[in-house]
Amino acid sequence: MVVIGESALVRRLLIGVSVLFLGAFLMAPLAVVFAVAFGQGVAAYFASFRDPDTLAAVRLTLLAAAIAVPSNLTFGVAAAWAIGKFEFWGKSFLISLIDLPFSVSPVVAGLTYVLLFGAQGVLGPWLTSHNLHVIFAVPGIVLATIFVTFPFIARELLPLMAAQGNDEEEAAITLGASGWQTFLKVTLPNVKWALLYGVILCNARAMGEFGAVSVVSGHIRGLTDTMPLQIEVLYNDYQFVPAFAVASLLALLALVTLVVKSAVEWRAGKLRSQLA
Amino acid sequence: MSIAVRNVTKAFGAFTALDRVDLDVPQGGLVALLGPSGSGKTTLLRIIAGLEVADSGSVQFDGEDISNRSAGERRVGFVFQHYALFRHMTVFENVAFGLRVRSRRTRPSPGQIRARVAELLNLIQLQNQAGRYPTQLSGGQRQRVALARALAVEPSVLLLDEPFGALDAKVRLELRRWLRQLHDEVGVTSVFVTHDQDEALEVADQVAVMNRGRIEQVGTPDEVYNRPANSFVYNFLGNVNLFHGRVDDGTAYIHQEATGHLVFVRPHELEIARQPRGANYFRATTKHINAAGPLVKVEAVTEWGARVHVEMSRERFRDLALRDGEEVFITPQDLAVFANDQRAG
Repeated sequence: MVVIGESALVRRLLIGVSVLFLGAFLMAPLAVVFAVAFGQGVAAYFASFRDPDTLAAVRLTLLAAAIAVPSNLTFGVAAAWAIGKFEFWGKSFLISLIDLPFSVSPVVAGLTYVLLFGAQGVLGPWLTSHNLHVIFAVPGIVLATIFVTFPFIARELLPLMAAQGNDEEEAAITLGASGWQTFLKVTLPNVKWALLYGVILCNARAMGEFGAVSVVSGHIRGLTDTMPLQIEVLYNDYQFVPAFAVASLLALLALVTLVVKSAVEWRAGKLRSQLA
Repeated sequence: MSIAVRNVTKAFGAFTALDRVDLDVPQGGLVALLGPSGSGKTTLLRIIAGLEVADSGSVQFDGEDISNRSAGERRVGFVFQHYALFRHMTVFENVAFGLRVRSRRTRPSPGQIRARVAELLNLIQLQNQAGRYPTQLSGGQRQRVALARALAVEPSVLLLDEPFGALDAKVRLELRRWLRQLHDEVGVTSVFVTHDQDEALEVADQVAVMNRGRIEQVGTPDEVYNRPANSFVYNFLGNVNLFHGRVDDGTAYIHQEATGHLVFVRPHELEIARQPRGANYFRATTKHINAAGPLVKVEAVTEWGARVHVEMSRERFRDLALRDGEEVFITPQDLAVFANDQRAG
């Protein structure tokens, strides 16, 4: 326990305010989600998942995440390696580009895809003539998901890789390791916890993304609705139990993410204290 | 394996790190690259290792041009200033790394790897620390592990970049003697970079003194110290007092109207006396006396207002019974004169 010299009253006040705030804005909504989802019994809750449209939405969300996360994993490691370990012209510009999805509204991101790939868009006529559908179809949803989630992994790795420098890689190379061996045996193990954390965050966001996906999806039930979109559809149809049942899945995902994140941080912290 | 560097030039943008450098390291030699920071010594070492590519010139191992070979193909052992140990691996795994990454055909069996690592840990006297992680070791231990790791692959040459630069004074001293011993045992051709002249003079067979991307002089420690090629080498190897002077008919006059000559006198070559002796002396006033250590160091201000540093034995100091603020007579016993070539930084 670190003593910072505040009186017990101040300490309790600060803790109390934090707990109240978290309770009101985080715990209460979470409780409501589960309360409404199970409001008409467990049977009604599980019946919600027998709706083929809902199942399709779950499948589409899993598909989008399954494509977006590995893509961003590849991109994130490559970008963090390039930026963290090499000096090149235009480096700060590249860093700004990586941050772009954080600063741009997801709706705007979705709209740019519509303007690019939509029927009236720049590439629209070419895509139509080749019978390719991006907007109001699965590819558009995947693209939008990749766009909004691509900073997560790169941003986790960048500061760490930059701080670690090149020495260990150079040592590995002089010892006769190939570039691939150096990457697998030296670079990757040094960033594995940050990488895992980045993947978890990226996955949570990929599954939960609403704005950008909403613009490009076109809301074709059973075809282009992801879980967040399906929740909105169900809610607008006054189907509260199914809506909150699907929402409870996303809430569970959030909880799992938190647990894994804590475990990762605990593991990394333990490793550090063990080494120190 | 002998190393030959031929006419190597390297620039980083507008900065010339190496300017047409030549260097020869004989088989089994231990050469120090000595110079101030920015003199190009680390760049030269990295070019020999293949971690940096020269703009022009070549590097030869045993007379064979290896300039186009990658660092991995050159079979060099490289020791980094900050150790560069693999932080997620134990001491054992660090040392075994170079053997484990070999292709299946040339890789030793697990038993052979264990034996080789055990042998090396024995050599660096860390046989009981095999299971530890780098962060659990002291700086000196880490650097020894880095050395063992480099030696594990039986390198043709061993290159060390400021190997003791990050260690504290006492460990440095121990480790550099140990390195000398190790070199005598293993006999691998070695080059190490340092900015510490004591380290270079004590450890190396040959010292290459570098300045501004060029090698000023190569020679044995005795040669570079006692027969410096120019004012930079003299100045860099040990403490000096610098006087401006002129030379007439082979006689040096200090503090006369300068005619472009630099006169250097090492602190122990200045003799302090209470009475003038002969004709070669100048007056000075003692300012500060440091009697801690094997030699007594006296700082004095000359009659023309310059500061000089004098070192003397404890016996001499006792005989003189010097105090601060006394007027004394100083006689140079030996001096070195160089034309003012603007290099005495």
